[in-house]
Amino acid sequence: MKKHNLFLTLLVIFFGILMISPVYFMVKISISQPQDIFTQHPTFLIHNTTTKWWAWIFSTKEVWAPFIKSLEVATLTALFSLAIAVPGSYAISRLPPRVRYPLVLGLFFTRMFPEVGIALPISVNFIKWGLLDSVLGLVIAHMIRILPLVTWILVGTFETVPKALEEASSIDGCSRLGTLRRIVIPLAAPGIAVGTIFAWLGSWEEFTYAVYLTLAERTLPLQVFYYINRGNWFLTATYATLTAIPVIIITYAMQKYLRAGYMAGAVKG
Amino acid sequence: MSFVSFSFFLKRISKNKFEIILILPLALFVFGFTIGPIIQAILMSFEGIFGGNFPTLASYNYIIHHHYFKAALFNTIFITGVGLSLELIFGMILALILAEKFFGRGIFRAVMLLPLGIPTIVSASNMAFIFSTQGFLNELLYRIGLIEVPIDWRVGAIKPLMTIVVADMWKVTPLVMLILLAGLESIDKQLYEAAKVDGAGRWHRFRHVTLPLLRPYITMALVIRGIDAFRIFELPLVMAGRHVPVMSSYAYFEYIERNNPYTSAAGATILLIMIIIAISVYLKAVGTEEVTG
Repeated sequence: MKKHNLFLTLLVIFFGILMISPVYFMVKISISQPQDIFTQHPTFLIHNTTTKWWAWIFSTKEVWAPFIKSLEVATLTALFSLAIAVPGSYAISRLPPRVRYPLVLGLFFTRMFPEVGIALPISVNFIKWGLLDSVLGLVIAHMIRILPLVTWILVGTFETVPKALEEASSIDGCSRLGTLRRIVIPLAAPGIAVGTIFAWLGSWEEFTYAVYLTLAERTLPLQVFYYINRGNWFLTATYATLTAIPVIIITYAMQKYLRAGYMAGAVKG
Repeated sequence: MSFVSFSFFLKRISKNKFEIILILPLALFVFGFTIGPIIQAILMSFEGIFGGNFPTLASYNYIIHHHYFKAALFNTIFITGVGLSLELIFGMILALILAEKFFGRGIFRAVMLLPLGIPTIVSASNMAFIFSTQGFLNELLYRIGLIEVPIDWRVGAIKPLMTIVVADMWKVTPLVMLILLAGLESIDKQLYEAAKVDGAGRWHRFRHVTLPLLRPYITMALVIRGIDAFRIFELPLVMAGRHVPVMSSYAYFEYIERNNPYTSAAGATILLIMIIIAISVYLKAVGTEEVTG
């Protein structure tokens, strides 16, 4: 028994270090002097710290345009997705099972399509429609991957709202829209909140559509890509940390919702 | 006959008018911006290298003779096969650890979930720092005395692919772990007691109780992860760029760098076909009831 515990402890420490170290190195580089990084033997611990990379992106105001664009796109994507997915998934949840399951599974399988295959015609069309580099264009593109996910979460939520409550409300003379607004949506509010946050995160960290639809007005993930292509590790790490901070905070705040079913759609490698 | 069924259809519609109105925006969006573009991409792939020659296989003929495409095809299959196997093994180990009760379990779970809070593009740049020639992995190997001269992870046939596999594992093994953990928690503990009474050891209990009952969860993890592994994009693009093309980055380079949407469409279509074949073969092998039920 003793031996088994020691083995388990070692495994736990090993995997723990493995999971933390990439994030640790990212933060470390963003606050390191070049001599600690660009050397034959980079240091593991933090020695000569500097805030100059962080100060630089803020003092040159370079960070604000991408930051604001990412914020706008993520917020609008979450709101628009909600506006379409809430009514849609409510209706799906009230369909008979033999229609509902194929529909939900079908939505899930839109994820099977390669994103580069969707982003290509979208980009070709958006050039024609003048939507390249625009906030609206990117919001539409992000909804392509986020709507099925939000619908998937919301159908599950609406299924838990008992139908008897709706019937009672309609007997009391409430219209169907009124029932939806006064009874169903308040009861489904926690699930709707989870869906909204996942939608926001999914857009905030999105890269593929952004890189296909952007010429000059970069989002934060594109800023990371831009600097790594230019070989500037320090600004890459700084932007990477900045991009990751809200995602880490929200992911931990929502830990109990990190259930396999939700995450299935949310994480992509 | 057709009139009867048509009026029946109309009645159905008017009876469900409310539902149809609610569902319409969603349906229109999915058809307009997902199904539509996919069909457009497939049609574009038959338009020839310079477009406008529908139908022709010229784009396909062009890319399959492109050595870059062959490399992309091989790399994608390698990363998917090796990556999925390793992710499943490590996901299983982590899930089994978390199924135990030990001091600090809550913290360990939180640490294991950290990669889920890291955007893929960020994890790609982090891995680029680690696998650089002057990076932290080489320094670690040097300090523990395994190497004298730094290893260049970007050269060779398998080395760069393995760095991408490791990067992908870091990002998604926690997801596989969560799925398998959900499966482990659903198994009735009495089954283990019963197996113990019957004299089954640790390994036999795992092999004959845990694994069979986990099968639906393993299928779920494999299908979800398999689709994403075939479509892998950011990690190879950032970590290896043009050195290690995969199907997605091949389609990207054809369009963004070589400015040819038609060959890019052909590459994307081939990737779609690969995914469909892989899923149908797999589901045929394990049976579909595990996914739908």
